[in-house]
Amino acid sequence: MVAHLVRLKLALLRNIFRRSRAQAIGAIVGIVYFAVLVAGLAVILASFRASLDAARVVLPLAGAAGIVLWTVVPLFSFGSDPTLDPGRFATFAVPHRELAVGLVAAALVGLPSIASMVLSAGVVVAWSHTPASTLVAVVSTFIGLLTAITTSRWVSAVMTNAISSRRGRDVIAVLGLLLLVVVGPAVSFVANLGGDLRGMATATARVVAWSPLGWAWAAPGDVAAGEVGTGLVRLALAAALLVLVFALWSRVLRGEVDDPRAVSRTDSGTSMGDDLGLLTRLPGTPAGAVAARVLTYWRRDPRYQISMVMTPLVPLALLIPFYTGHLVWTPLLMGPLVSFLVGWSEHNSVAYESDALWLHIVSGTSGRDDRGGRLVPAVLLAAVLVPAYVLVGVAVAGRWDLLPAVLGLSVGLLGAGYAVSSVMSVVLPYPVAESGESPFNAPPGAAGITMAAQSLASVATLGLASPTLVLAWVAWQGSEWAVWGAGVVGLGLGGAVGLTGLRAGARLFDRRAPELLATLRRV
Amino acid sequence: MSDIADLPVPQQRPTGGPAIALRGLGKRFGDLIAVKGIDLDVPRGSFFGLVGPNGAGKTTTLSMVTGLLRPDAGHAFVLGRDVWSDPVATKRLVGVLPDGLKLFDRLTGLQLITYAGLLRGLSRELASERAAELVAALGLTEAQGKLVVDYSAGMTKKVTLASALVHAPRVLVLDEPFEAVDPISAATIRRILTGFVESGGTVVLSSHVMDLVERICTHVAVISDGLVLAAGELDAVRAGRSLEERFVDLVGGSTEVVGLSWLRTSSD
Repeated sequence: MVAHLVRLKLALLRNIFRRSRAQAIGAIVGIVYFAVLVAGLAVILASFRASLDAARVVLPLAGAAGIVLWTVVPLFSFGSDPTLDPGRFATFAVPHRELAVGLVAAALVGLPSIASMVLSAGVVVAWSHTPASTLVAVVSTFIGLLTAITTSRWVSAVMTNAISSRRGRDVIAVLGLLLLVVVGPAVSFVANLGGDLRGMATATARVVAWSPLGWAWAAPGDVAAGEVGTGLVRLALAAALLVLVFALWSRVLRGEVDDPRAVSRTDSGTSMGDDLGLLTRLPGTPAGAVAARVLTYWRRDPRYQISMVMTPLVPLALLIPFYTGHLVWTPLLMGPLVSFLVGWSEHNSVAYESDALWLHIVSGTSGRDDRGGRLVPAVLLAAVLVPAYVLVGVAVAGRWDLLPAVLGLSVGLLGAGYAVSSVMSVVLPYPVAESGESPFNAPPGAAGITMAAQSLASVATLGLASPTLVLAWVAWQGSEWAVWGAGVVGLGLGGAVGLTGLRAGARLFDRRAPELLATLRRV
Repeated sequence: MSDIADLPVPQQRPTGGPAIALRGLGKRFGDLIAVKGIDLDVPRGSFFGLVGPNGAGKTTTLSMVTGLLRPDAGHAFVLGRDVWSDPVATKRLVGVLPDGLKLFDRLTGLQLITYAGLLRGLSRELASERAAELVAALGLTEAQGKLVVDYSAGMTKKVTLASALVHAPRVLVLDEPFEAVDPISAATIRRILTGFVESGGTVVLSSHVMDLVERICTHVAVISDGLVLAAGELDAVRAGRSLEERFVDLVGGSTEVVGLSWLRTSSD
């Protein structure tokens, strides 16, 4: 059974490369990118071998952070892996214990786990002061890794139960979002305390090392420093924790398999009678209908609500370094950042509808109507947010003299974002959470292509806006002509690039709509 | 509608010629050749049933007729127009109910039908008027304000059919229209389709329920493994026997059950 589950996971990993060529290349680029990142981090971790004192502060904190990430991140961004959803095994009559072990083993075979293992190897190197400390490091790091993964499975299973109704999912989506929004500023606030960062880290590390999160990660340090007794106590505690977490996971699993969630869907309770909603409030043309439909989706689908809530809030984070670190320029970027987000976030819009796009194809909807109508909601959103944030940012920074440059940069980024999105959503749709699933539920094996496509969209957007970016930077350096230059170039180029991208996207849609549908059915 | 002079195959009489004509239509997926060069004529005003075993290529063929899947070989004509070189004009004439594709299911039923009408270029008044009429005709009035995602499988079929009818097409291409539909709804749909054919429209549907095809279709084609094995008027194809017998004959599969003795537990 364990071997079966691991093979299933391996097959999923292999299938990343069996999609279309563009997607396979995207996945490879993403994986290489992250491999380099992870390898670099592992080397940094290993370099703490040079100083045992520093290692005893940093590594327990890093390990604890790893466990927290393993618990939180799968729920909020990459999603609990649906292939490992215990409910799916309800009909197979697999012994509980085997299933519990097998699902954890299968979770070990995945890109995030492999990355964690590489990082763990770095940790083991850092602790390799004596044979004893190396041995303890190997054992305790492995225990720590298993604890992280088992906790992640357990929390996912508990949450999946909680969010099996759509209403519950929507609520949790919004709550999780608020949490994320609060955590970001809190972390950067602490980071900006400056002052006695070192002392605080040492104190925190001491506390964390005695908390369940830190036992496994602190034990090798104790042994290396000669406090063998303490180290063995922590190691024992870490092992006990793993057993406890595994027991909890087994119990939830047993509940899931013996009494699977109701298969029937719960009614969303919406009833509008014969009201046509937004369809009557926008022009009665194909493009107007597409715009009305997308706006309706923004209101009803939690997957869109996330970006709806996030987009206006993210720029506020730029105020934190301004108030805590006295960085004068960060508020000026609020307008450009919100522009970037609004334009960029549309780059996978078609994938959210999945193959429902067939209706556009059989009705012969033109690329112009499809692309244009789809952008209307994003344009409306930008029309409200961009001027507001440009003005607020300039006012907070007290640099009214830079207003033309900031406005130009914002419009330039907006146009570039629309252009990239219009083209990319036709050419390179990548898998997203399905309609009705938790917005945090990502399809298996999609992390690589997701990262690659998102990076590509970002780079392309910045590239298309680069003339304005350069001028805005020159303006910031104090050049007066560049202030107006960035303003004029930004407005002109933003508009031109946006329209050109829209037209290119429309032509691509006209030519490739059936191929797009085929890709959407595969992803 | 595009200029008559531009049409690829000029018609002598507007009523002549087949409603759908396939010429050497083929499609391959990697190593698998799903459709192996099909020639098929669907006469105007016929109620045409496409039958075949699972994986025979029914959905693939219909998708190439409706513009959802680009053929690798051959041509598909609807009322004399080439689907793939004159898609805009063709698509106006066709109503489509695909199988196994999602809908814009966060719209209400009424919104979805109206949306389909607007995409087809109807005015808002006409689209919403027809949507209301279709909802009433298909017995969806009570559910018209609910989200399509909350519909049962049968209701989803009905609302998709309504979306296919809203622009008053001349040809209907329906992939498994009766799957998961309860008998009462099936009777309603059948009446609507029969009325459509009686007023001069053409219906092509795929199914693997032989009884149903035998009862409602005037013409039938049997396809298997990407090839047309027989096509024509119902009576000609079944040649004095039941369609099911003839079908099993043509497709050549055996209905004998081999083995599985351990499944017979009646002796316990």
